[in-house]
Amino acid sequence: MKNNKEILFEAKELCKNFGSTAALKHVNLTVYRGEVRGLIGENGSGKSTISSIAAGMQPATSGEMYFKGQPHKPATMIDGAKAGFGMIVQEMGTIPGITIAQNIFLGQENLFKKHGFISLKDMYKEAKKALDAIGFTDCDPKMYIDALNMQDRKLVEIAKVMYNKPEVLVVDETTTALSQKGRDIIYKLIKQMKEENKAVLFISHDLDETMKHCDTLTVLRDGELVTTLEKSEFEPGKVKSCMVGREIGEHYYREDKICTYDKEVVIRVENVTTGRGLTENVSFELHKGEILGIGGLSHCGMHELGRAIFGEEPIVTGKVTYAPTGEEIVNARIAMKHEMGYVSKNRDIEALVLTASIRDNIIGAGFDKVSNHGIITPKSEKEYVGKQVEVLRIKCAGIDQAVKFLSGGNKQKVVFGKWIGRGTKILILDCPTRGVDIGVKAAMYEIMVQMKAEGKSILIISEEMAELIGMCDRLLIMKDGVISGELKRDDGLDEKAVIENMI
Amino acid sequence: MSKDNIKKIILNKEKVMSAAPIIGLVLVMLAFAVLTEGKSISKVNLKVLTNQFIMTALVAIGMVYCFACGALDMSAGGSLCLSAICGALAGVKTGSLAVMIVVVIIVAMLIALVKGLLAAYLTLPVFIVTIILGSLLSAIGLVLLGDETTLSVRYIVKIKDLTAINLIFIIGFFLVAMIIFNYTKVGKACKLQGGNPLASGQSGIDEKKIIIMSFLMSGAGIALAAIITILKTKTVTAASGGSIGNDVLVAIVLGGMPLTGGPKSKISAGIIGAATITILNNGLSLCNVSNDMIQIVRGIIFIFVVFITSMTYRTKLLPR
Repeated sequence: MKNNKEILFEAKELCKNFGSTAALKHVNLTVYRGEVRGLIGENGSGKSTISSIAAGMQPATSGEMYFKGQPHKPATMIDGAKAGFGMIVQEMGTIPGITIAQNIFLGQENLFKKHGFISLKDMYKEAKKALDAIGFTDCDPKMYIDALNMQDRKLVEIAKVMYNKPEVLVVDETTTALSQKGRDIIYKLIKQMKEENKAVLFISHDLDETMKHCDTLTVLRDGELVTTLEKSEFEPGKVKSCMVGREIGEHYYREDKICTYDKEVVIRVENVTTGRGLTENVSFELHKGEILGIGGLSHCGMHELGRAIFGEEPIVTGKVTYAPTGEEIVNARIAMKHEMGYVSKNRDIEALVLTASIRDNIIGAGFDKVSNHGIITPKSEKEYVGKQVEVLRIKCAGIDQAVKFLSGGNKQKVVFGKWIGRGTKILILDCPTRGVDIGVKAAMYEIMVQMKAEGKSILIISEEMAELIGMCDRLLIMKDGVISGELKRDDGLDEKAVIENMI
Repeated sequence: MSKDNIKKIILNKEKVMSAAPIIGLVLVMLAFAVLTEGKSISKVNLKVLTNQFIMTALVAIGMVYCFACGALDMSAGGSLCLSAICGALAGVKTGSLAVMIVVVIIVAMLIALVKGLLAAYLTLPVFIVTIILGSLLSAIGLVLLGDETTLSVRYIVKIKDLTAINLIFIIGFFLVAMIIFNYTKVGKACKLQGGNPLASGQSGIDEKKIIIMSFLMSGAGIALAAIITILKTKTVTAASGGSIGNDVLVAIVLGGMPLTGGPKSKISAGIIGAATITILNNGLSLCNVSNDMIQIVRGIIFIFVVFITSMTYRTKLLPR
């Protein structure tokens, strides 16, 4: 089939080193017109690296690229976009403090220049067109971007990328941050690109999604291209074993089907309404040895609730208490006094100091555990941090490596290390497996099961139904800020029941 | 190239980067030794230099704490001035050296506490608040002085040789500041907070407490510098402290610390930078460069260093 197709993009012997780590090792990749190519692999396998090099976000260390038959060497992302490479990035790609239209035409304001002034009227008009073109119609381009939630900002970014009519669209791990509506918009664009005889590079950890929407799958592992599979060869087990290089066992989630936990209540949430009004009168109890799930759509208020339980979100009415002592939890310090921990959904923004080392990040939540008469010696630090790196198998050059150089999954492991290290007994997890590969996911689930067995409690907030069903003793469903349903593991949780409660 | 070799090159590159401030210091030293035909390293000049250096270094070392948290304190000059004036007034009134020193310390720490509270509870940029506060403090000093423009404490201060006190102050303060900064929760928390206040807050670091602590540390440096000022000049005027605020800002940057603070902050930046800026100021005036010209040269060097140090951040920010 490929023989009669025109080559659109080609990478030859592409290498990329980050310091001592080789992120890409002599990768050859050919993308044809009319093709939707999936790039899959574990965190740190090089998927994002190769696509970001092609889009001009960073240069390759060595190797050559050809685009439409011409040598392709974009110096910046703007260069890449001009050449015809559009990229939707994994993290936030919009700039706060300016309007939606200004975000869409960032760097292209000259398009609207009239006698030396920028015509905002024209800009708004074009912005509206760009938004409509991707099907995001209920959006006023005059609004400040800050008024939008994460998902809608992503849509603005997509509109921006699509406005430049790219020949190759790179979708880097975008869909996991989106709800069904956002995903549908992306799927439609992918289809449209294919019909226009252009190409798509699709990166996602969601295997079902990837297999459904891609024509071919290229599997990367540790910076090397393992294989490229045709649609006829798609089979979950095969793809997974290509990704990790070994057979993946059956036990991924919890194996038992019984709801078990202690009677003792550890956290009591009573009539909580958060300051921004995203949750209303929420009440529930978390027990010792329980994995309690909270599921719902992205804006149902569950993320704010997670922060509120840890004392880091303003509460208008109601309270969160540590049940054994009755003390109210009003900030992170009181929460930590009662051995609570919190893993934020916004890893890079709330959970990590990116410029700091692995050592400093992990030690940051454990000063009280390592200090001896107020003094923290490098030796005690090394022991404490080294243990977490070992237990969690964090892939790094050393504990003094800055966390910004780690892959998504390894960053998340550092965040877990912060809390596991100090012996946290009540762990609040907000989308803990967002943007991490199945290897890391399995490791996180393993930790959760182990913590439960040790009589510790976990509150997991997630947008992934399969994960909640697979892990929880009890599952609370939130809708528009209130708890709309409660399901128990015993009842035989299944997606149908969950979705019925959600919508 | 083997993996180990690459690792070595990277480590070496980092070493070179961290050695840059020291290389800068040595170059400045050599350049002026040549330009002034050895005058800058004459015995008399070195003594003058040492005094200036110690003042700047004391304030700069303490100020590293504020910078690390991301709080740019621009009021060091005003704080030093007011604490020196209050101390001198108390000294003149009681005739006691001890009272004078105690008052200097108390006033300096009180000012620091006020600044800390303002920075912690006022949601305004510390930078702007302290610029205003700096002039305010000097103005209060001027009012306290009243009709007298110069206050002499000559008959209270009978110490002739300050070498021992200078050494004790600078070495003692450097060690204390370094130990707290690198080996205790306060220092480590400062750096994390400067790197990402949200993440450090969610790790249980009390933002308000840490910022107040950092101002108190910088207050201690200012108090010590104020004491040295009085002991050295034996007079106090509304201009005492003068340009130290700017000198400290330039010193910390020349010492290799990012203006944005955060995890890369280091105490040594205060001491190395103070040496560089002192030699630069002194060398330029030895070369008969006018005071106004010195200001211009310093301004250019400052902008140049900020440009070089911020380049690495900028390339990473583009073009997301």
